[in-house]
Amino acid sequence: MIDFQNLTVGYQSALVSFSDMKLNKGAIYALIGRNGIGKSTFLKTITGQLKPVNGTIQLNDRLISDITFGEIPKFISYVESRFPLVEFLSVYDYIALGRSPYTNLLGKLKEEDRALIQKTIDQLNIGHLSRRFTSELSDGERQLISIAKAVVQQTDLIVLDEPTAFLDYANKEEVLSQLQQIAVNMEKCIIVATHDIDLVLDKTIQFILIDETEKTGKLYPSATKNEIISTCFKSIQL
Amino acid sequence: MSISKRHTIIILVLLLLLPIIALVHLFAGQINIDGSDYLSSIFSYDSTDSYQIIAREIRIPRMIMAIIAGAGLSIAGLLMQTLFNNPLAGPYVLGINSGASLFVAFSIMTGIPFFTSTLGITANALIGAFVFGMIILFFSRFLRSQVSLLLVGLMLGSFTGALVSLTQTISEADELKVFTLWALGSLQKVEFGQILPIFSVFFTGIILVAFTSKSLNILVLGEENARLLGVNIKKARLFIIILTALFTGLITAFCGPIAFIGLAVPNLVRMIFKTQSHLTLLISCALTGAIFILLCDICIQLIEPHFMIPINVFTSIVGAPFVVFIILKKLR
Repeated sequence: MIDFQNLTVGYQSALVSFSDMKLNKGAIYALIGRNGIGKSTFLKTITGQLKPVNGTIQLNDRLISDITFGEIPKFISYVESRFPLVEFLSVYDYIALGRSPYTNLLGKLKEEDRALIQKTIDQLNIGHLSRRFTSELSDGERQLISIAKAVVQQTDLIVLDEPTAFLDYANKEEVLSQLQQIAVNMEKCIIVATHDIDLVLDKTIQFILIDETEKTGKLYPSATKNEIISTCFKSIQL
Repeated sequence: MSISKRHTIIILVLLLLLPIIALVHLFAGQINIDGSDYLSSIFSYDSTDSYQIIAREIRIPRMIMAIIAGAGLSIAGLLMQTLFNNPLAGPYVLGINSGASLFVAFSIMTGIPFFTSTLGITANALIGAFVFGMIILFFSRFLRSQVSLLLVGLMLGSFTGALVSLTQTISEADELKVFTLWALGSLQKVEFGQILPIFSVFFTGIILVAFTSKSLNILVLGEENARLLGVNIKKARLFIIILTALFTGLITAFCGPIAFIGLAVPNLVRMIFKTQSHLTLLISCALTGAIFILLCDICIQLIEPHFMIPINVFTSIVGAPFVVFIILKKLR
């Protein structure tokens, strides 16, 4: 699904290097590392906003660097940690923006677009929100509709930057449970940058851990809390 | 009732109101002109009939320019507000009108025949609006807060005002008179023969602006989100500035500076429609803006027997309190 070969990310100079790895559909990958280590840089590189300092990323056997700017949203959807504050934006219209890479110049939705949006709303159990304004929602509800927008974008890869950062425990669990169902039932590859270590432990989630001292990232099919801390947070070990 | 049905009904009401108010506008002047005179002035014009002359050369152009000015400035305001994610933005507040005015001042004060012609003034107003649109776009890249952008717009306005005053002090009396009359703002400067070319440019702008609606819908999510949904931000910004300059420059060239329409109407429309669908907002802004200026100008015509009020002064009197209301509402 997505192949990383000899990858180094950064702005002008190298920030983090990654071991070669392949991420598959139907799975969630938790990206964990210290603040400022390069998680967001990695996500920006995957989403085509930054060029790799070195190496390649292949998505479905196609180099990301070869995918044109306009095509990227048909391959990768991205969920920001901060929800945009906009007045008079209805939940339905917000989710419908996920279809914009497929709509005509005027952004008109076709019947099949509406059907997909409604199906996604039903699958995520957010029908009761669809006629409300996004400005009226709680943080947890906002994350769910952001995920719905990413789902209607119909991409194989969904990337989320700290989706549980501002949520209480119940909402964190709800968001993660929805993501797990989406990954398995809709055959998506989901990458989640997170600091909620306890939340992602003991679940069918794999890990991309960024070593704090070596500045290297590596895929771990499973990991314990101690392993995560000893890799990502070496400096706080007693 | 579904939201889209409610929007359709309001738009239909506005569509119905516009020709009615336009007709009222035609008959609001001091001199009574019959409907038959209007028809004759268009289809069998008799240049010796004073009623037909008033109908053809004054009333009809004034009514059409009111519609174009109201619709165009409201659309320009909506474009600025979405582009800069700032409900208090508008071509007047951000100094784009001032840019057009400055270039028109230079144009008139040169005394060179081409620059003082209608074509010369229009071209300079369009260039001025575009240059100042690009300047404000440049500054917006470095400014984080909405207030800072408005302050830069205010400073641009003051700066151009000072340059215009400087130009006035060194210009000849005749040129100064032409500029002063232009700067008062009026819907009455256009002749019947100029309507078709002005309307053609305006209509082209309206068609082009419809195609920005998709980008505008996405841009409300912020530039990073918009980029990740496939919007080419640089191109979108440039296209929006060009269209804003087109509307602002065209209207400023023929009507002089008109304040507050671009700021007040999009906010009023958002309050009524409660949507971020920009196709709906663009259509509604055009209709509401046109109706708003027609109503302002009807009031002016009714007051005219007693004293003359330039359109710019009247829109400021009506628009400024509304803008204060918006600011108070946002701050609460």
